[in-house]
Amino acid sequence: MACGSTYLWRGETTWFCCGSAWGPCGSAGGGACGNCRSSANHGAWPNASAACWDITRPDLCGEGGIPRRGCGAVMNVKHQCTGATVCITITDCGPRTKSFCGEQTCCNGECRSNRILDLTPAAFSAIGSLSSGKLPVWIYE
Amino acid sequence: MSRNQSHTPEGRALGRRGFLSAAALGGATIVGASALGALDADAAFAAPTPSLDPAVTTTAFAEGRIAGRNGSMLEVAGSYGDTYRIQLTNATSIWKVHPTTADAIEPGDGLYARGVPMPDGSIAADAVWVNIVNLHCTVRGIGRDRLHLAHGTHTVVGRIVPGTTSASYRGGALTSDLSRLRIGQDAQVLGAWRPSDDTVDIVRVTVGH
Repeated sequence: MACGSTYLWRGETTWFCCGSAWGPCGSAGGGACGNCRSSANHGAWPNASAACWDITRPDLCGEGGIPRRGCGAVMNVKHQCTGATVCITITDCGPRTKSFCGEQTCCNGECRSNRILDLTPAAFSAIGSLSSGKLPVWIYE
Repeated sequence: MSRNQSHTPEGRALGRRGFLSAAALGGATIVGASALGALDADAAFAAPTPSLDPAVTTTAFAEGRIAGRNGSMLEVAGSYGDTYRIQLTNATSIWKVHPTTADAIEPGDGLYARGVPMPDGSIAADAVWVNIVNLHCTVRGIGRDRLHLAHGTHTVVGRIVPGTTSASYRGGALTSDLSRLRIGQDAQVLGAWRPSDDTVDIVRVTVGH
């Protein structure tokens, strides 16, 4: 399925590991959808299901309108400042938005608030450096 | 000129990825380990990248553990049984706890790499992140030189590295003051796994509410 260009959301993205992996990531498993892999362009969405929403609770950070997008949904993720983009498939639930309410990531003087997406290392590294830990992004579908 | 470009002798702008390709294909520009690394990884990704389908990528990604090394070529055993050859060039940025050189890379280390696929099947690396982890944890214990963390159903010992470990509280600026960490807090830990003892050197711990 191809990625689209219709605006969906904006905020911070972080990264996480899943599937077979080395080190502490070796215990991560395949995520909520069962097929998450660190080496694929996958992502975790905070409203992947009702049960997922109960864990992530982005509404507690003022992000209550995040739409439901389940396993297999495809999104185009664009770095706010560089314009670098990556097309991902949702394979997990996350991030735990409620734990980091109000957190901001900025570039070129413009900030995005709240963690609303988690990317695998493959996807995150396509638009930024893993050592940064988080990036400001716009999401399209 | 952007940070992401260099120029050929003829004066043409040469993107970083084009430079990497030329460097790897040219062979002569691949330098010894002592001259590698310490470049800004963020600069490697400043150029817009087209994206139309999740199955189509314009750069290559590799992950796994370093099985061996032949000069500037890393042999990597992927987590799914696949294998990769990662070519380090004098434009490759290397991270292991901090920006470093290829000298810091050891067999058995874990690795994520992104770069340009070469005709011989290798990847000329834009950036290599060695042993990097970014874990969502719960703080279970606080010691003088370590944090005891729960990551999913597993425990992780996070080492506090003097002069390196920093914390961010509720979205605030990074600080070396770790005194505001509390047991039970959700925390995001970015650090480097140590294969020798399965602990993690903490670079940055972020806590929210």
